[in-house]
Amino acid sequence: MGLAAAAVVLAVSCNGTPPKARVLPGPDAPGPTDPQDAQCRAAARDPGRVTLHRLNRAEYNNTVRDLLGDTGSPASDFPPDDHGFGFDNNADVLSMSPLLMEKYSHAAQALVEAAWARGAFGACVLDPAKPEACARQLLKTFARRAWRRPVTAEEVERLVAFVTLARQQGDAPEVGVKLALRAVLVSPHFLFRVELDPSPASTAPHPVSDLELASRLSYFLWSSMPDEALLQVAEGGHLHEPEVLEAQVRRMLADPKARALVDNFAGQWLYTRALDSAQPVSRYGFDEPLRDAMRQEMQLVFQEFVTGDHRLKDLLDAPFTYVNDRLATHYGLPMPGTQTMTRVELTGHPERAGLFGKGSLLTVTANPDRTSPVKRGVWVLEQLLCKAPPPPPPDAGGLAPAVDPTLNIKARMAEHRANPGCSGCHALMDPLGFGMENFDPVGRWRTKEEGGAQVDASGELPGGKTFQGVVELRAVVKEDPDLSACMTRHLLTYALGRGAEEEDRCTVRDISQQAEGRGGRLTDYILAIVRSDAFLRRRGEAEAPKP
Amino acid sequence: MNRTPVLSRRTLLRGMGALMALPLLDVMRPRTARAATPAPRRFVAFYTPCGIHMPKWTPGGEGADYSLTPTLASLAPVKGDVLVLSGLDNLPGRPDGDGHHAAATAAFLSCVKARKTEGTNIRTGISMDQVLANAVGKATRYPSLELGIDQGRGIGNCDSGYACPYANNIAWAGPSTPVPKETKPRAAFERLFADFDPNATQEELAKRKAYGLSIIDAVRDDAKALQGKLGTTDRSKLDEYFTGVRELELRVNAMDGAGPTCGTAVEPADNEDVREKTKAMLDLIVLAFQCDLTRTCTFMLGNARSQRVYSFLGLSGEHHAYSHHQRAQANYDALAKIDKWEVEQYAYLLQRMKGVQEEGGTLLDHSAVYFSSEIADGNMHEHKNLPILLAGRAGGAIAPGRHVRYPGQPLANLYIALLNMFGVPATTFGDDGTGPLSGLGA
Repeated sequence: MGLAAAAVVLAVSCNGTPPKARVLPGPDAPGPTDPQDAQCRAAARDPGRVTLHRLNRAEYNNTVRDLLGDTGSPASDFPPDDHGFGFDNNADVLSMSPLLMEKYSHAAQALVEAAWARGAFGACVLDPAKPEACARQLLKTFARRAWRRPVTAEEVERLVAFVTLARQQGDAPEVGVKLALRAVLVSPHFLFRVELDPSPASTAPHPVSDLELASRLSYFLWSSMPDEALLQVAEGGHLHEPEVLEAQVRRMLADPKARALVDNFAGQWLYTRALDSAQPVSRYGFDEPLRDAMRQEMQLVFQEFVTGDHRLKDLLDAPFTYVNDRLATHYGLPMPGTQTMTRVELTGHPERAGLFGKGSLLTVTANPDRTSPVKRGVWVLEQLLCKAPPPPPPDAGGLAPAVDPTLNIKARMAEHRANPGCSGCHALMDPLGFGMENFDPVGRWRTKEEGGAQVDASGELPGGKTFQGVVELRAVVKEDPDLSACMTRHLLTYALGRGAEEEDRCTVRDISQQAEGRGGRLTDYILAIVRSDAFLRRRGEAEAPKP
Repeated sequence: MNRTPVLSRRTLLRGMGALMALPLLDVMRPRTARAATPAPRRFVAFYTPCGIHMPKWTPGGEGADYSLTPTLASLAPVKGDVLVLSGLDNLPGRPDGDGHHAAATAAFLSCVKARKTEGTNIRTGISMDQVLANAVGKATRYPSLELGIDQGRGIGNCDSGYACPYANNIAWAGPSTPVPKETKPRAAFERLFADFDPNATQEELAKRKAYGLSIIDAVRDDAKALQGKLGTTDRSKLDEYFTGVRELELRVNAMDGAGPTCGTAVEPADNEDVREKTKAMLDLIVLAFQCDLTRTCTFMLGNARSQRVYSFLGLSGEHHAYSHHQRAQANYDALAKIDKWEVEQYAYLLQRMKGVQEEGGTLLDHSAVYFSSEIADGNMHEHKNLPILLAGRAGGAIAPGRHVRYPGQPLANLYIALLNMFGVPATTFGDDGTGPLSGLGA
């Protein structure tokens, strides 16, 4: 089928209503008119509110790295963070517990002792006779950084009082300073990202303060605390100025700390994190070096989107990747002659271009012992198009054991489309997965299924249009008008640490249109998010009626 | 200074390999008060995900005259200590639409229907173990202990619009406050014993407490100053912080030089092999009870909708995928293998508890050890006729060694009965508890 001008678009509900297709206009035709456009133009934007945000494990580790130079990742021993809306930085589900409080307390003590031994706390000398001046300076500096805001004189004096306490106990002043440092690290001002509303019970939107904005920015882009440059701009009251804000975003994205977007945003959005627990059966020869190469490939490719000039949508078909000899062999690409991950152009191998050709994604969306067109299809729908299909009804029948191994998986799954109870969703999910059937459960290219059947990677999408193989499939997805809004929705959810919900629909729409209008790079999306009301403003919350 | 000369934990750790168990050493026995007082009652909730293949689980007979099914076979050595309870329903575990695993796991110990949300305003009910912890937990260093195996994969949605806390926690301190579990045996061990320092003098301990409490005072002041400036939802987040601080304070006050005088404290190694990890966690439960560090414990053998691959059982598919068995014999067989392994773990725990002698009987005699899954049949997401085992005598309140049927009775009534056994005068519980389940005693 020709995909050039008229692409089938997956505008479908699988919930009862029969699937229907839209056809995209050609490049010169006017865009589709959507009644919601007018609604969004008229509607005032509700910036929503972000719940008091406890640092998650990644944020804690990165923050103590930047605050104290400690790279021991102490939070790795904390209980796992729950996640909501697909991300583990969702403030609503980041709860605090007695167990965690104990962990924070022990970590604070160990961190302070280690950092003190390294001499991490500034230059002044604690004179045993008159330690207060130095203690005051040291604690003020430290608390400002740890709490990500200037501290009041009263707060500093309360910290300095630990020196007096130590003296009363017959200890040296440094004992008191270390106690104060520990107190800083278990204070709610450190463990939570605090944002205050002038009137907490009012739902009128207001701008977040420049310092709050600095933290929003640094935890979005770095999963960590603001650095000195960012803090200073915020303290000067300039961060909300659009040019200043943009300059800071660009500076921060160029910093190696922006690697956090790869680990924490992409790791969850693209399911790379699930690679850790993937257990393909032994006949596929999957091992730790391969797992590691696949993980690095996805990270390095996404890293190029963080720093490079690619359009975000080009994630679908970017004609380059990173391989080492092991992964290249696995993929059937020429070996670069090293076990170090090396950037290669995919000339002559269009099937490997973009996300759908990546071993990481193909492995985590397969079963351990066979491919799962359904899982692969669901991944595309949920993570790229934000159309989550409901799970199958109980006892739905599903994929029967392969009685006739000469039948390919598509033939065996024909029941999905034949059964009226299943077809609504499966007509949507299955073809997307069929298009990736040339990749086995660990992402190797194949033309035959394990049972010997010829792979059939063609699919028919809702509306009757057909495609052949992964190259045509990803072109369809790339053209889907919901792709941009869906990527925005995931990125916004991550950026804010709260669910992007129905109330945010117009915000999502604004951001995606603005980002695409400016070139559609990841940077454009990030800047559009950072400029949005949802990011720059917040509101209070009406008091709930007492039950 | 007045310290009991006992073998310290460090001495023991130096002398032992990880995961090696030693018999109870006389020198470590308590010398004073506890020998004269009756042993306390303890409670364990043992959760296993994705349901159970019921045809191979449910015994045919009733009363004492029943025979163990293939899935329950490993209970043979403790058959006289186990009640098999059939027929109980947990209907509050039914979701709105889909999301059976998460909704039922949230209701596993709460019997309260979870609000369907991916994260905003999560709500279920306080769990039965936490009700118990509130009542009996003050007597011990830890009001309750939450253990589990799975960290969670941290991607995607957990279950059809139900937020991950529902799927990953069975203990809930309140309707919107899950109690996270420790998933690393070594971390759990360190936590249990971290506050003992046999080398510290009383003076040193007193100073440490004073310092610890001063930090607590300072951060509590910080939090109080903040509290007045926050809205409703943020205040409830901060309330969780206050709870943490209060418990930390109790912990600091309980800092002790003596060390536990209660048996073999062997620090487990971290090992991601689920067999080793499970054994280490179950050993820790026994140890925590032996040392009377807590009296209430929950254990999750997996998170809801577990996708674990049991390769060591010769299986290549994921647990959740098998549980949607589609009436295929191959899937039934796989499920039966997994179920059997799960029951073996439970049997191991019971035998360990039965091996610990206390004043007036074994540790198992003094405990109620509850086993179940969030659903029965995984394919149908059945919330009725759940697979339930209850072992131990709870100090005489339970008469085990029987198979009892309670067709159509709410699971919440079992929890009411259990709470009553521990002296909690509950008459209702959760959404549908109406009174204590009868017939658990003799």
